[in-house]
Amino acid sequence: MCSLFLKTSHQKNTSTPNNKNMNDIIMTVTAALVTTVMAFAVGMLYGGIVRKLTARVQNRFGPPVYQNFIDLMKLQFKKTNIHHGLMSHLGPVWIITAAVTTLMFIPILHGGMLLPGFSVQNLTFQGDLIFIIYMMTFGSLGMALGAGETGNPNSAIGVTRGLSLMTGFEIPFVLALVALMIQYKTTSIIGFMDIQEQTGTWMMFANPFSFIAALMASLGMFRYSPFDIVGAPAELASGPASEFGGKYLGLMMSGGSIFAFIKLTLYVDVFMGGAHSIPELLIKTFALYMVPVFYGWVSPRYRTEQAIRWFYKWPLIFGVMAILWAIF
Amino acid sequence: MNVIVLILIILFGGSALSFFAKKITPQASSVLNFVAILSATVLFYTSGKPDAVNFSLGGFNLEWQLNDFGYIFASIVLVLATLISLYSIDYMKGMPHLGYFNSNFMLAVASMMGIVMSNDFISLFIFWEIMTWSSYLLVIYKGRHETSKIGIKYMIFSAIGAYAMLTAIVLINSRVGTTNISDAIELGALGSKNILIPILLLIGFSVKAATMPLHVWAPGAYSESPMSFTALFSGALSKMGVFGIAIVFSALMMDIQFAISAIILQQVIMWLGGITAVVATFYALIQDDAKKLLAYSSIAQLGYITIGLASGTKLGVMAGLFMAVMHAGIKAVLFMAVGAVERQVGTTDMTKISGLIKKMPYTFYATLVAIIALAGVPPVGGFVGKWMLYETLITSNSYFLVIVIFLSSTAAFLYSYRILFGLFLGQEEENVKDVTEAPITMVAPMVIISTSLIVVGSFPGLIFEPLAKGMAYLGYTDVNWNMSMLQNVWGDQVDLIGVSTTIATVFILAVIFITLKGYKGTRQVSTQDISTSGEIPWDHENMNYQQDFFKPFERAFSGMYKGNMEKFWVEIGGAISSIANFVRKIYTGNGQTYAIYVVSFLALLLLILNK
Repeated sequence: MCSLFLKTSHQKNTSTPNNKNMNDIIMTVTAALVTTVMAFAVGMLYGGIVRKLTARVQNRFGPPVYQNFIDLMKLQFKKTNIHHGLMSHLGPVWIITAAVTTLMFIPILHGGMLLPGFSVQNLTFQGDLIFIIYMMTFGSLGMALGAGETGNPNSAIGVTRGLSLMTGFEIPFVLALVALMIQYKTTSIIGFMDIQEQTGTWMMFANPFSFIAALMASLGMFRYSPFDIVGAPAELASGPASEFGGKYLGLMMSGGSIFAFIKLTLYVDVFMGGAHSIPELLIKTFALYMVPVFYGWVSPRYRTEQAIRWFYKWPLIFGVMAILWAIF
Repeated sequence: MNVIVLILIILFGGSALSFFAKKITPQASSVLNFVAILSATVLFYTSGKPDAVNFSLGGFNLEWQLNDFGYIFASIVLVLATLISLYSIDYMKGMPHLGYFNSNFMLAVASMMGIVMSNDFISLFIFWEIMTWSSYLLVIYKGRHETSKIGIKYMIFSAIGAYAMLTAIVLINSRVGTTNISDAIELGALGSKNILIPILLLIGFSVKAATMPLHVWAPGAYSESPMSFTALFSGALSKMGVFGIAIVFSALMMDIQFAISAIILQQVIMWLGGITAVVATFYALIQDDAKKLLAYSSIAQLGYITIGLASGTKLGVMAGLFMAVMHAGIKAVLFMAVGAVERQVGTTDMTKISGLIKKMPYTFYATLVAIIALAGVPPVGGFVGKWMLYETLITSNSYFLVIVIFLSSTAAFLYSYRILFGLFLGQEEENVKDVTEAPITMVAPMVIISTSLIVVGSFPGLIFEPLAKGMAYLGYTDVNWNMSMLQNVWGDQVDLIGVSTTIATVFILAVIFITLKGYKGTRQVSTQDISTSGEIPWDHENMNYQQDFFKPFERAFSGMYKGNMEKFWVEIGGAISSIANFVRKIYTGNGQTYAIYVVSFLALLLLILNK
């Protein structure tokens, strides 16, 4: 069974772009498009569900779960749009580029398949975890440039907060991943999925400390309260996004939704054994998504330095323990 | 005539000529500088592999030859020097002492070429000293009071390095009886048995590479020299340290009598590199002066390179050398860009300037690409080196070091953004209203290097090829490399062509979408036209966010900013001077005391001999 996956995931040597026929290319492009649309839809829907749930927790009625789609339509149909120069014009483009590119390198289902029914592969086999981590920063840096050019001080403050926060949550996250890498001698996501398939144990049980550290890092990654210092409603006037509206904000929103899906799928792939079907994927990702959301409901916002320091306490300790667990 | 001799004659002779050429016009000296370096470069690439030059000096056999390993660094030096000297023509226009500047500039280039072509320690040392002196003379070029202080700091540390190196050379000669580099390595002079020799050599080389704790001179020296020299200083001259460290470590790792002492030394150097990377990055991101920021970032980057070279694995050494080549290009561009800003605006203080993107678009483009490469974000060249370094450390049991490196690289995003935002983005200040783009001779070198950084991001094989040859010379044979595929020892891969085509496709589609959608309803507004959340600013009230840019980060890591290496060296200086004070007391000036010394020494000698 495993050899099947290994075979599919190591086809790179036999199929190069040159000897692919036209049919394959069309299939790949279609599959890539479908994946993107799915990631976008799921991300938007999750956002809507969280808005509704949050409202109910706060004893409000709240918007319908499809409110995000309505918002997006409204943004796209705005008649006038303004930008502050080339970089701010391109800012949302960086986000969507990074989001879609990263998505192409994340296995959605087992065996590196984009979707069931499509007998083509993702580009997954060509990227590993280190690459994914760096690719994910590509969008935020591009966006930071766009936000910087607008000249709004709130944007710049938001960006500095976002970058500072990154120095916090990246460390436990990387500690968790490095622990798994040295435990199983691979850095590829496909490799992790195969190992979990073979051993029948999810990584979250095989190295629990690693999972705890990564889960704590995810709180910062999703930027829900108490780590909502970047957008910081009522404080920074939505931070980096403050000067963006209309089609720009719409594209940013789409990119953000895809990124939410990417992060969740990455966690599911690495820690929760991946998924064999779309419903399974949805259940697992939604369960994961609720962790930062639940934590956010009961926590007030941190100041930036408190947020960074938070990651250098328990998450760091769990990360180091994960590595020690992997060595011994 | 032999090509090596010819190149050295062109460069050394050019140095002398450009000093006198300023008598014609100062500008002539700069142009001559460029022409001489260009002709040496052309000669270097058009002539085939040169023959060795052998001659004898004071009883030592000196040998100059260009090997595959030296070729990497010779290329860095010549390509950078050519482009920088072109840039320098306009950058230095109107500045005083042009003859002095140009002749020392070329002397530095010539001595670096000498270093990479030396096959024996004696000529290496001679060229090394010429390099130190010429760079020292350029560090103190501005002649201000603070400048001379910085110059002295640089000179003292260079002297420490030089003494260490000289001692090592003497030891090598006494242990194995030769000063030829490859012979000495073959005889095990740099091996674990003679662990003192590699340590001393590493001290000597680390001073130029500015590794902790020998980095103290670098921030000042990098930011006080004229930017056209700093580009060479940080780009090429610091790579001479890398050149030496690579030789020492490969000799240490290839040694048959491999011992525990070598492993300890390796671990110490790797951790020093890691600490250098983190601490320098943390200091870089609180700087307000763009030059200082780049200087600290330079130190941090050399920390990564040191780790790669010291790791001793094929992938690690490849990563170190690759990053050395990348860093040469990146820092050359960045220092040139900051120099261009300095020339056009008059300051590099990021709290005083902002919003240059529309005034200096080409400089911005070059800086942007170099910064992306520096941050290591794909698909630009810097990512390749970072990836290889991480994979090396993960696959060779350096788990905690990889976390240290990750912290440093993540914090590097902060200063990367700081310099782009500080100089080019944000609201336009009054004082940049009439700024124009730098002249084409200054912009062209930056744009050329930046564009090549993008190309290397997709085709790193272009650089892997000479690196693999050079590593074969060092003893790392059968190095695997692909034109555009990265691979670690566990078999995990990154296909760079796949990455860059995906990025390019999505990017182009998204650009078309966002530009064409509602094209007529889209307009550009000025940076003054922003949402101010209900506040109405005064006419001249600028709301630029530049002061205390990363204050929250600084607060979060306040513990890291308490220590100071400078204080450590001041303490050491104090200790040395009190020891010297004590030693001075031996020389009382009283003849009777001296007589007692002589008698007691003789008595001691008799006791030992009688035994």
